Amino acid sequence: MKPAPFEYRAPESLDEALALVEELGEDARPLAGGQSLIPLLSFRLARPTCLVDLAGVPELQSIRIDDGRLVIGAMVREREAERDAKVEASAPLLACALPLIGHPAIRSRGTIGGSLAHSDPAAELPAAAVALEAELIARSRTRGERTIPAADFFTGFLSTALEPDELLTEIRIMRQSPGTGCAFEEVARRHGDFAMVGAAAMVRVEDDRITEARLVLTGVSDVPVRALDAEATLTAAPFTDEVLAEAAEQTAGSLSPASDIHGSSAYRRHVAGVLVRRAVRAATQRAGVAA
Amino acid sequence: MSIIAQRYTGSSIKRSEDLRILTGSGHYIDDVRLPGMLHAAFVRSPFAHARISSVEVSAAREVPGVVAVLTGAELEALIVPGPGAAGIFSGGITLPSFSQLATDKVRLVGDPVVLVVAESRYVAEDACELVEVDYEELPSVITEQQALDPDGPPIFEDLGSNVLNRTEIATFGDVEGAFARADRVVSAHLRQHRHQNVPMEGRGIACSYDPESGELTVYSANQGVQTARRLLAQALDVPIEKVRVLSDDIGGSFGLKMGASREEIAVAAAARHVGRPVRWIEDRTENLTASGQAREESFDVEAAVTNEGDILGLRVKMTIDTGAYPGMGGMLPRMVQNMLPGPYRIGALSFESTAIITNKATYVAYRGPWASETWVRERTIDLIAKELGLEPLAVRLRNVVTRGEPPLAMVTGRSLAGVTARESLERVSAMVDFGAFRERQAEARAQGRYLGLGLATYIEAAPGPRQPQGGGIGGPEQIRMRLEDDGTVSVFTAQMPHGQSHQTTFAQVAADEFGVPFEQVRVVVGDSSQVPQGFGTGGSRAAVMAGGASLHGARALKKRVQEVGSHLFEAAVEDMLISDGVLSVQGVPARAMSLAEVAKAAHEPGRLPEDVSGDIEVTTAFDGGEGGWSGGSHAAIVEVDTETGLVRIERYLVAEDCGALINPAIVEGQVRGGVAQGIGAVLLERSAYDPESGQFLASTFMDYLLPTAWEIPRLEIEHLETVPLDADVNFRGVGEGGMIIAPPTLCNAIEDALAPFAARVTEQHLPPNRILELIGAILSDAGEPR
Repeated sequence: MKPAPFEYRAPESLDEALALVEELGEDARPLAGGQSLIPLLSFRLARPTCLVDLAGVPELQSIRIDDGRLVIGAMVREREAERDAKVEASAPLLACALPLIGHPAIRSRGTIGGSLAHSDPAAELPAAAVALEAELIARSRTRGERTIPAADFFTGFLSTALEPDELLTEIRIMRQSPGTGCAFEEVARRHGDFAMVGAAAMVRVEDDRITEARLVLTGVSDVPVRALDAEATLTAAPFTDEVLAEAAEQTAGSLSPASDIHGSSAYRRHVAGVLVRRAVRAATQRAGVAA
Repeated sequence: MSIIAQRYTGSSIKRSEDLRILTGSGHYIDDVRLPGMLHAAFVRSPFAHARISSVEVSAAREVPGVVAVLTGAELEALIVPGPGAAGIFSGGITLPSFSQLATDKVRLVGDPVVLVVAESRYVAEDACELVEVDYEELPSVITEQQALDPDGPPIFEDLGSNVLNRTEIATFGDVEGAFARADRVVSAHLRQHRHQNVPMEGRGIACSYDPESGELTVYSANQGVQTARRLLAQALDVPIEKVRVLSDDIGGSFGLKMGASREEIAVAAAARHVGRPVRWIEDRTENLTASGQAREESFDVEAAVTNEGDILGLRVKMTIDTGAYPGMGGMLPRMVQNMLPGPYRIGALSFESTAIITNKATYVAYRGPWASETWVRERTIDLIAKELGLEPLAVRLRNVVTRGEPPLAMVTGRSLAGVTARESLERVSAMVDFGAFRERQAEARAQGRYLGLGLATYIEAAPGPRQPQGGGIGGPEQIRMRLEDDGTVSVFTAQMPHGQSHQTTFAQVAADEFGVPFEQVRVVVGDSSQVPQGFGTGGSRAAVMAGGASLHGARALKKRVQEVGSHLFEAAVEDMLISDGVLSVQGVPARAMSLAEVAKAAHEPGRLPEDVSGDIEVTTAFDGGEGGWSGGSHAAIVEVDTETGLVRIERYLVAEDCGALINPAIVEGQVRGGVAQGIGAVLLERSAYDPESGQFLASTFMDYLLPTAWEIPRLEIEHLETVPLDADVNFRGVGEGGMIIAPPTLCNAIEDALAPFAARVTEQHLPPNRILELIGAILSDAGEPR
């Protein structure tokens, strides 16, 4: 369990980092906390010739409010975001998701951008980003900046819309409006494990009715899955237990998750329905409605 | 008269190991640095079962920094063939022949094929990638059914089949009569799943050979330096007096690190071959994949019972999956058979067993290796209670033996003298408030919450009452004790602590018996040139065998000091007092010497008569004395989330009897650790293989799930007053009990919680997926790896 030989570079500015990834191309891998990449290196499952460590790039380190949006730099540590009052106030769903990532030691090293760009289908942050309809900002030295909606960013198991010469620089999230509630529910074998299934829910409630719903599942496909049919069901009628049950059933029925040693496909489907119910109910309660 | 101000034995004094280990100053194999030391890595099989058609190592030899590359055939030429560690646990059965590195074929994923020795582990692993092995894949043998198929490919050709051993039906008591008298027969097919020892520190060894002197020095994380020494001397054909084995701090073992494994023999041979020290540190993937696994057993059980709940007799057929290379699997059925009746009035037993070979890791000793006797019995009792509509506690109390009343022995032979199973059952049910729980359970069910209470009882022969043939597993325990010139009492033991705190407990016993402050006793372990002969640590022998040897050794050493003192003081031996580290003459407090002064004076010429030796040293052996049982009853209250299948342990209670406590805090630590592993076994841990390809599916900590502090509840532990059988030594082993009894306790609690669903638990592993299958929430997927 020792990595194959690789070079290590530690750029000190975004320009330097972008120049490096452009020059090194697909042989290089950005190091953004290393909580997944380092084990992959040790197993020799990833064999980049060079690691470009982004820890010293100052442009990627801040959390700020900009033009009504919460903006989080790609290299902000998960633990820092978890403890940030701006995150909690502007994107409560993110605040729900962050404590579910691993353990504090992992979150102290792991970064927001690292987790998103790694695109593990069982991870919390990709699902939260999709549910939040976040914008992911990619940058290359030659083409500059482009905005990728979260729904288009995650393209498959451990793969994203990022080009080899691009770095994810920040994530922008619309500040949550009043009347909105959210929840992130998951089932993991142990506290801190990758979830077997997770469900992120955001609902806006007006007069005991869900007027807007966003529902995203993790661990059930190779990317986060948005449950559009269930969202439509939830907003189509006044909120009742029956409506919720129907949305849960719809979600479970639409999924065909893979089996592994932790849970069969049938188990994951079943639990997806359970978690949709739990997450939507919790989100609705937080939005001020008792179902 | 002698006044001892304080007795160390029985008190939770702080461990002398604490400062070293808790401050990170422990010294483990990975801390061993020898001049010119090289590093080893193994090329391992990616296939479960394949013939090796060729091995090409020339590219690997070319890598800068590589010092040696040894194929299986090359290694065989450097050593004496033999079963190595497998020989210790063979149980007298015929073992197949095999090599230390695979030569003709590989028999499990992770089978070592080639050894690379290089300047660093990094370089060694780079070179491993360049070794080209051509494999011709063979059908793998993974399941019991595949192993028992007479047309299946034999994993070891010389055995001709994949059955390692069968035992004939052994009958105890009147089995036919018991089943004839029974009102009904409760039967079940019970399965224990494969899981494994996962010590925090994997295996590791560093070897250095001096060609001038012919001496082999071995640093090894090992449960017994003398056993390792004997096996390595044999394998390398080095005279045993030229081999020295040293063990320092060990990050856990649980039965794994015994003797010398195939990899360890290979590393030792490589060190001699290259003429430089070589170290191998097992990494986590190697540890999970290839170090060894345990517990995979299945049972067909029939219980003859009356409608009132009397258990008249059992018929049991056991199948044990011993994995690929021989380990402990072959000898276990007999142990399981003999312990199956446990502390119950079960008057008849028939037992037969089949040990099979599969393309999986070797079956090794794991904390309470014979534990299936308790799991099967305690699970069966709950199934009987369920079928008869009785309370499981009532069935236990109806059948458990009462002290002093017949039967005085298990039907399989062992005396039940001093067993406190009835007392522990009564105590634990009082602790848990059985009646109140049933009310709360009913209320919770009405709200759709599923609580369950499980109980189980075990006894462990640690060492068990005296038998005609003598002590516990491994025979008498020797101890060597010496009064050093500085007044310290040195205790040399073949026990090798790897988490058991022997350096504290033996010192407590010796300090009390000898009459010195605890701090003045030094327990020396882990150096084959200093410690006496002995098997090492295992079989719950340390507390009773080495604790008892410490007591008798200290007594003998005291007698020697008194004898020397009587000459120095010209007083009667009977008048020599030792207290608080001072030797004095009774009634004449002014005539006193510190022990350091005694030791020095004894060596001064002319102070002792010519025929009295000035060396104050004794070697004694202890055979276990009258012995006695360890045991206890545990109870768990669980809540099962029937939507997700997750199990939460609300309370976990222990009423235990491990004899006289040497150090209650250490006893409780052993109980906690064992229970944690038992909880892990039921809820989390499984050494999973793909039944088709034979691939190992749990080779990282993302897939082999160990319990963490979050998953382990606070344990409520009470100690029972024991029944002393021996005049002096009534300490009993407690290391294995928690792991033996926690799985049935938890399985019984989970089944109780799921009673409204009529779920019947017949397997030990109950992950959330399985719970939902048991209650019918989801269909079981036959294609799932199990």
